[in-house]
Amino acid sequence: MKLVYLVFMVFIVISFSGCISQSAVEPQQIVLSEEVDNGSDEELDEFADEMEIKEIYDPFSGYNRAMTSFNDGAYEYVFKPVAKGYRAALHREVRISVQNFFHNLYYPIRLVNNLLQGKFYNAYEESGRFVVNTVVGIFGLFDPAKTQFGLEAHEEDFGQTLGFYGVGSGPHIVLPLLGPSNLRDTVSLYPDALLSPIDYTERDYWTLTDTPAEFLGLVTLEKVNYTSLNIDRYDKLKEDAVDLYPYLRDVYEQYRDKQIEE
Amino acid sequence: MIKQIFKKLLLIGVMLVFTQNLAADEQTDLKEHFLTKIDEVIVIVENKNLAIDERNGDIISVLTPMFDFELMAKLSLGKAWKKVPKDDKQKFVDLYVERMEKSYSSKVDSYNNEKVEVTKIEQPKKNRIRLITDLVSTNDSLEIVYKFYKPKKPKEAKDNWLVYDVEIKGVSILKADKAQFKEFLQTKSIHDLMDVLVDK
Repeated sequence: MKLVYLVFMVFIVISFSGCISQSAVEPQQIVLSEEVDNGSDEELDEFADEMEIKEIYDPFSGYNRAMTSFNDGAYEYVFKPVAKGYRAALHREVRISVQNFFHNLYYPIRLVNNLLQGKFYNAYEESGRFVVNTVVGIFGLFDPAKTQFGLEAHEEDFGQTLGFYGVGSGPHIVLPLLGPSNLRDTVSLYPDALLSPIDYTERDYWTLTDTPAEFLGLVTLEKVNYTSLNIDRYDKLKEDAVDLYPYLRDVYEQYRDKQIEE
Repeated sequence: MIKQIFKKLLLIGVMLVFTQNLAADEQTDLKEHFLTKIDEVIVIVENKNLAIDERNGDIISVLTPMFDFELMAKLSLGKAWKKVPKDDKQKFVDLYVERMEKSYSSKVDSYNNEKVEVTKIEQPKKNRIRLITDLVSTNDSLEIVYKFYKPKKPKEAKDNWLVYDVEIKGVSILKADKAQFKEFLQTKSIHDLMDVLVDK
């Protein structure tokens, strides 16, 4: 019988402890907040742990900053004008189909990296998408896998695979034309490229492109097409930047951390 | 005696369910409130009779009670906030709020029949709720997380639950601001920062 009471008491104590600790703390905090101006600092402390920002390792900041300016110039004066012309010439639906086509081609990268991370269901779903979109979606131009069958894409690359196994991002590196990256993700471009059917080296297996010229042409098409669908996005991002380089650096690292976490 | 034990267990059970329900109610209330606000914004955006300035003003007046831009301004500076001279504090907050409002209006400009769906609700702490939403357009969807907190004392002309950060595809706009302000202040002063914000 006593045990029951004990359990009962413990429950009551636990369920009320929230209220008690709160009411016990509150008067004290009110006193504190009167001391400092309008309690603003107290508010700050309350959020301190949530707002902790990751210190990004950046030994190449001088180079990175210069490369960011270069990329920004290339974007503003080359890619954006070209993408705008391209956008005017081709209907949005067509451009989405071009994007779908490239996305479908990169299926081997997603498959292998899903498998490497033990995400077997995602790998299975990706495979379903590839078959459906290649056959029904006419070589990946359309995405019936998602619209008709509800199969979701699972973006994974080798950088995420390394991150999944605990490899840190290393120093931040801004790549020419490709934009923000880091050591881990830059090194990972190589294994992913081996799985890409768009390539210029001699391979034992089928690839879509064989010569460097073909490769460059296709990669440029992909990039221009992508830009034409996302012109606003970069401009909006830039509007929010006080200083472009550290802003893009932080956005990239946060974005990658989130992708790895998923 | 067995009966007594059952009675007590029942009582405990009822209490647990009751407290759970309270939390759940809080979450659904907030979700409903949020979706109503979004609907109001969409009605304004789709009203083609409004001039741009008028439209942006209307949108901001709908959203302002739900956002704690003042808190965001402080959090974006982090520890540096404490060192800002008293006279400049309010000025910085005003500039930051203005910047947020502008940034929001310009994002609404690119609105193109997207739909907002709440996919998940999380409550990591008693006074924190996260609404995980999808901005669904014809060819893709964008995950946006709205982070709310409940101030100890309700603020004047504000809702009970207030947004203090927004995460777009995992990128917290507040953290991104904090990072860039921190870097900026390493070499320049708070006055330089305010000058940049004025020019924006």
